Amino acid sequence: MGDKHTRSDFSEGARRRAWLIGVGAWAVPGLGHLIQRRWVRGLIVGGAVWSMFLIGFSLGGHLFTVGGREQGLAVLVPGLWMVGDLGSGLLYVLCWVLNLGFLDTPQAAARVTFEYGNTFLVVAGLLNYLAMLDAFDIAAGRKR
Amino acid sequence: MRHLLWIVVFAALVAVVFGAVAKGTNRHRLIYGLKVFAQFLLIGLALGWALYFLPFR
Repeated sequence: MGDKHTRSDFSEGARRRAWLIGVGAWAVPGLGHLIQRRWVRGLIVGGAVWSMFLIGFSLGGHLFTVGGREQGLAVLVPGLWMVGDLGSGLLYVLCWVLNLGFLDTPQAAARVTFEYGNTFLVVAGLLNYLAMLDAFDIAAGRKR
Repeated sequence: MRHLLWIVVFAALVAVVFGAVAKGTNRHRLIYGLKVFAQFLLIGLALGWALYFLPFR
């Protein structure tokens, strides 16, 4: 009975830890692996996501948000891009707070690398979702 | 030329993450990452040329 209780506590604690690591991995790219002492994987994954985000920014990319101007199903277009961008975690939140990269001016859109920048930014977020799931799986014991 | 540079950078960074989170030994991950990199480049170039010949304008 006592053993059963201890095992149950352990699994609950492990589950909570896995969720916390998942949230940390989303918030700061690479952190989920670094917390679990997966130094190489954390640096590789985090470095790649941070690089993609910074390159996207330097190429003049634009972060998406749902601004209320869209009507009906048109909200899906910036909404889907926003879900991708949001994967960058606190990087996105920080840019949102500082209002960096959200301006959609014709001058910015006229840059040759504008669409490249958008793609880099959204893919950085999507890759971080992948890294987050990987960190969660490692913490949950599903993966080594 | 700059377009090629950016697709190479893009493919390399995506392949690095795909390879890092893949299952298997380090050797398997390396091979998988290289495969993803090559596929991104080849498919990107093929699509680029295919779109070049399509009369969109």
